[in-house]
Amino acid sequence: MTETKAPAAPQTSTHDSQLRDAITAQIKERNLDRAIQYARLLLQAQPSLRTLRFLRRIAESGEAPAFGLRPFRVALLSSFSIEFAHDALIAHSFINGIAVKIYQSGFNTFRQELLDSNSGLYQSHPDLVILAVEGEDWEPAAYGQYTTPSTEFPAIPLEPFFKEIAGLLQQFRATSNAPLLVHNFAPPVARLLGILDIKSRDGQSRLVGRLNDILYEACSQVTDIHLLDYAGLVARHGAVNWYDARMRLYAHAPIHQSMLGALAKEYAKYCRALVGLSRKCLVLDLDNTLWGGIIGEEGLSGIQLGPHYPGNAFVEFQRGILALRNRGVILAIASKNNPQDVDEVFEKHPFMVLKHTDFAEFQVHWEPKSESLARIARKLNIGLDHLVFVDDNPAECEHVRTALPMVTVLQLPPQPERYLESLFEDGWFDTLSLSEEDQKRATLYEQRDQAEALREASADLETYYRDLDMVLTLNPVNPENLARAAQLTQKTNQFNVTTQRYSDAEIAHRMTDPDWLLITAAVADRFGDNGIVGLVMARLNNESLDIDTFLLSCRIIGRTVETAMLAHLCEIANRQGAMQLRGTIIPTAKNIPVRDLFKRHGFTPEIEEPDGTSIWRLELSNAWITWPAWFKVKKTC
Amino acid sequence: MKENLEYLIKQVMSDILNLSPDSITDDTSVDNTESWDSANHIQLVIALEEEFSISFDPSEFEAMLSYLDVLQMVQSKL
Repeated sequence: MTETKAPAAPQTSTHDSQLRDAITAQIKERNLDRAIQYARLLLQAQPSLRTLRFLRRIAESGEAPAFGLRPFRVALLSSFSIEFAHDALIAHSFINGIAVKIYQSGFNTFRQELLDSNSGLYQSHPDLVILAVEGEDWEPAAYGQYTTPSTEFPAIPLEPFFKEIAGLLQQFRATSNAPLLVHNFAPPVARLLGILDIKSRDGQSRLVGRLNDILYEACSQVTDIHLLDYAGLVARHGAVNWYDARMRLYAHAPIHQSMLGALAKEYAKYCRALVGLSRKCLVLDLDNTLWGGIIGEEGLSGIQLGPHYPGNAFVEFQRGILALRNRGVILAIASKNNPQDVDEVFEKHPFMVLKHTDFAEFQVHWEPKSESLARIARKLNIGLDHLVFVDDNPAECEHVRTALPMVTVLQLPPQPERYLESLFEDGWFDTLSLSEEDQKRATLYEQRDQAEALREASADLETYYRDLDMVLTLNPVNPENLARAAQLTQKTNQFNVTTQRYSDAEIAHRMTDPDWLLITAAVADRFGDNGIVGLVMARLNNESLDIDTFLLSCRIIGRTVETAMLAHLCEIANRQGAMQLRGTIIPTAKNIPVRDLFKRHGFTPEIEEPDGTSIWRLELSNAWITWPAWFKVKKTC
Repeated sequence: MKENLEYLIKQVMSDILNLSPDSITDDTSVDNTESWDSANHIQLVIALEEEFSISFDPSEFEAMLSYLDVLQMVQSKL
């Protein structure tokens, strides 16, 4: 009798039905954040197919926008029956605030779907396409049909594989601007040469490695193609657990049911990044989080942090957090402690990896943590739904979940050696590109504090602007700054007139169209260089220059950069023979700061739609926007 | 115990086949239940395996096409 691998935890208990009832009740009351919290707890307690299907039903039970879920169309192309992953994908998208609609190509027709520009794939207008092909299906000669090379059977030529994959990717990109996510290949489970395989130049392991190298090359040559480290995912869970030989042979469904959640979670990281839901700030507790023990009770020499267990687990955790900071994640502290006790650890403890200056904000006092989080969000000018709160204390976690349901709460497991893994597991801060701005972000917050101090010390605003010594650089979007431009459209919520999200490929496509003006704005001041912090995309439409995208990073609001950008647009419009400048405001819950942008620059309202969208017009023959006097401007467009 | 087993099986079928547990009777089968198609049947088998920590051979999948057969097959594994 075959054995079921990794059976799910015992069976649906009363606790699970209570959670289900809670989810249903919160959905009825349109409390999406609370429903998602309960859904997360349910998935953790009972990650079974029954739960996934229940959550799928919940996710599909209403009109997504009315709920607050972001609609997102995913196309799945596969060489196997990936339909069995639908429940997991929909459930995991739901708990990430996304209402996924799936287009599923026919069994093993991924080549036809990619090559035929009229295929269902392209007609479904996906926001993301996923190409999930098992190595075994693409190159069986490296897997089950492998034979040891000899004079009679030469090693399989790899050039045809490269040609084929490159051709498919190019045809895809020529037909669609959607981002494409491609699975790489997991090594074969059965090594037909046994222990000799790894030593053989043309053994299966090396062969699959070469296929992955080719795949990587082919993907790098086309814009907006992303790799999913399927090999890594399978390795992490273990191929013996990942694959279900019985279902593979019976239903062409090679992935074990218990692993589909892990796959869906991985997909969710990409979806989240694409809809602008990547988290931005990590808020950490201190006691039993950054070190073992309680500083206020055990003192500097009593807390556990150093080369021996469990201190070394906390050191590793701190290193992981530092790595996040270095790739653009903002760090903050929310701890109930005496500030002097905390300062002492940062200043004097020999094994602290993180420094005081690594954190953009310290909330160390005895008030509730929800207060700390609210203050952190306000001071850093980011939404509460972009915070991840990490604490070891279940009561604090529950307090924050209840008080601030939109904050992502990560309750650490009991063992400190599992902290690092649990922080990285969900990829909360993952993005699809890493720019210089990302890597400098933490430093930029330091600079912002300095600028804030200057403002408070300035007699009036004009003095403040002048004293900042701002240099504004306006450049067209080019291959070097393309990723940053796309990232800005995906992440900017507050000072964003239309909140249109664009992928690298979509913007690259506009670069080829002479009617589109795509301009980045970079700002440096006396405290440092902020890098590219603004973007405008406008289209020449007969005699009108129509603004499609106009946004500023939240760090640079309140310095009249928008006035300078609009002044620049007036000049360009004039140069191109346009008579009007037009702008659109699509109101969202988050873009209140930008609502009066056009009004205060002298535009007149032209159209007001029932849904609140407004279109504004500036007649260049009798109105103009002048450059603010305090910018030094450099432009190449 | 049998009542409990029947209750649990109906809960599983309810989740997978989108039926109310009360509507599942001794007559319920693939022939009279629209949502009980071949894809959902495989899902049902998987869900039963997870629920009861048991395992079926593919040859047994096709011997479970009605509520009563499901009940009998699950019982045989416990």
